Amino acid sequence: MQRRSFMIGATALAAASGLIRPAHAQGRPFTFTSWGGALSDAERNAFIDPFAAMKGIEAINTSPTETAKTIAMVEAKKVEWDLVCEGGTVAFQGEQMGFLEVLDLSKIPNAAALPDAMKAPCGLVTSTGATIIAWSESAFPDGGPQSWAEFWDVARFPGPRGLYTEFTYNYEAALLAAGLKAEEIYPVTPEKIEMAFGKIREIKPHVTVWWGSGAQPPQLLSTGELAASSAWSGRMLAAKAEGAPVGFTFRDGVAWGNWWVIPKGSPYVDLAHEAINFALDVENQKKLLPLKTYGPVVSAATEGLSPEDSEILVMAPQNLEHMLLLNEKEGWGYTEATLGSWQQLMME
Amino acid sequence: MNGRRIEVLALLAPALILTLVVFVLPLVRFLSLAFTAPEGTFATFVALAESPVYRRVMLNSFVVAAVVTAITAALAWPLAYLLARVRGLWFTLMIYGVLFPLWISILVRTYSWMLLLERHGPVNRAIQAMGISDTPLPLLFNHTGVLVGMVHVLLPYMVLPLYGAMRAIDPRLMQASDGLGAGLWQSFRRIWLPLTLPGLAGGATFVFLLSLGFYITPALLGGRTSIMLPTLIVAFITEHFNWPMAAAASIALLAAVAVLMLAATRFLKLDRGMFAR
Repeated sequence: MQRRSFMIGATALAAASGLIRPAHAQGRPFTFTSWGGALSDAERNAFIDPFAAMKGIEAINTSPTETAKTIAMVEAKKVEWDLVCEGGTVAFQGEQMGFLEVLDLSKIPNAAALPDAMKAPCGLVTSTGATIIAWSESAFPDGGPQSWAEFWDVARFPGPRGLYTEFTYNYEAALLAAGLKAEEIYPVTPEKIEMAFGKIREIKPHVTVWWGSGAQPPQLLSTGELAASSAWSGRMLAAKAEGAPVGFTFRDGVAWGNWWVIPKGSPYVDLAHEAINFALDVENQKKLLPLKTYGPVVSAATEGLSPEDSEILVMAPQNLEHMLLLNEKEGWGYTEATLGSWQQLMME
Repeated sequence: MNGRRIEVLALLAPALILTLVVFVLPLVRFLSLAFTAPEGTFATFVALAESPVYRRVMLNSFVVAAVVTAITAALAWPLAYLLARVRGLWFTLMIYGVLFPLWISILVRTYSWMLLLERHGPVNRAIQAMGISDTPLPLLFNHTGVLVGMVHVLLPYMVLPLYGAMRAIDPRLMQASDGLGAGLWQSFRRIWLPLTLPGLAGGATFVFLLSLGFYITPALLGGRTSIMLPTLIVAFITEHFNWPMAAAASIALLAAVAVLMLAATRFLKLDRGMFAR
């Protein structure tokens, strides 16, 4: 008897200290993980908090997203994130590597309203943004580069540049700068990859920062460390709203979605499906609009909007006309094909 | 004797078990991943050795570590000499000046350097005001930034062993040398300098080994061209999801450190402490 109660006590102690976790972590609230900053704020206010309130549950919002961490959790069978906001490539990669749940679309009827480019077997887009051209107002008070070709033109727009640390977005930006039309960017071919590499070699001496976190471009542009940089649209909109001396254009931007995925083995798979369906509801999609950072993905949410309010809606036809829609499946293709050579290029 | 042994074991046990369970076992498990690549048991090491990128990263790490060691030695030597000479309030002020940075988070110190070194930061403004350069110098996101940050963080690890060695020098030796007719230079070269060398070796080992494993400072102050081994390991994990490669690179780093440590113990009496006598 005494021994038994000791064992129970010891187990409870071990569980409390995190050494042993119950197979189904019912003691842990539903957990949503995203990239932080403006995007996490938007998703939390428009989707996660209202969803938790509706269900009467506690939900935790954490950041930042880290794919390697997701994989580690799944492999260790200790999944602590139930719903994760990821880049689109991961939705395809996760299917291939098997670390994501395959979504059951019968539980997500609202997904029917999504265009095909916004769907993958393991992920769905719930909001949209873009990688856009941004500049420092101290460097270019009369406006910065209006296209990737102008971004590459260091004679007309002199000053240090910033680009994303991986090949993603840079493939598209470089090819647009090289003069390819939006419809010529995909499908990816070895020749196009070579062309993009050549174009990146051209601007590389002027690129002082290869940014990895979304917070970097607005910060480095407002201090003048960078003259121009690629940047995530929501971060620039948020920085501008706070009065940062930065400018940007959606022209020539690379539009993408924020993909929601479910790590394999989450104890809240059903709840995560419900949350995705909730986020795709037209009324909830509309909650993104007043936040003015990232746009809805469901087009019905944007009807009857004023022109200035529709600037952030990268999926609106009048905006998409001047932008390129990132093809995530192709994106995963060129990323996988250049893992080694990209690193080599960076070190040249 | 037997009772003594049990006592020693009992005293060591808590720390030993903790280290074993939460450090050694997970580390061994992680490192064993290096031999699990689908291409073969040693495929990861072959890839590391054959790729010009990885070779360059490794060379880069050793060059940066060597340069940081040389700069800290040059800065620490006069400082340690002064520390060994002064007494009273000056000593207190100076020793706190050396130790104080150790108590501030490395992240805070590195971010502070970002503010100081940026294009329109105080350092560049001063350089321009003094007319040294018309345009802002690129001090950040390159080797310069990495070196400045690492030297600042690692300086105390060089100063303290040198100070220990210099404090231990019997002043009567210098007096004797003087009395026997040696000049200032000869006394310095033949008495004082050789006696400080063990301290220098201790400090250099410390700084070199710590430099090899530095992550935060190069990651924040360096650019993509100044990538070092720890940054590469992180890239294997977070960008490539290639854990066997990450484990292999970790083993390479660990092996380099182990070899250097072994070499160091040959001429450093580690059992008598890093503060060489």
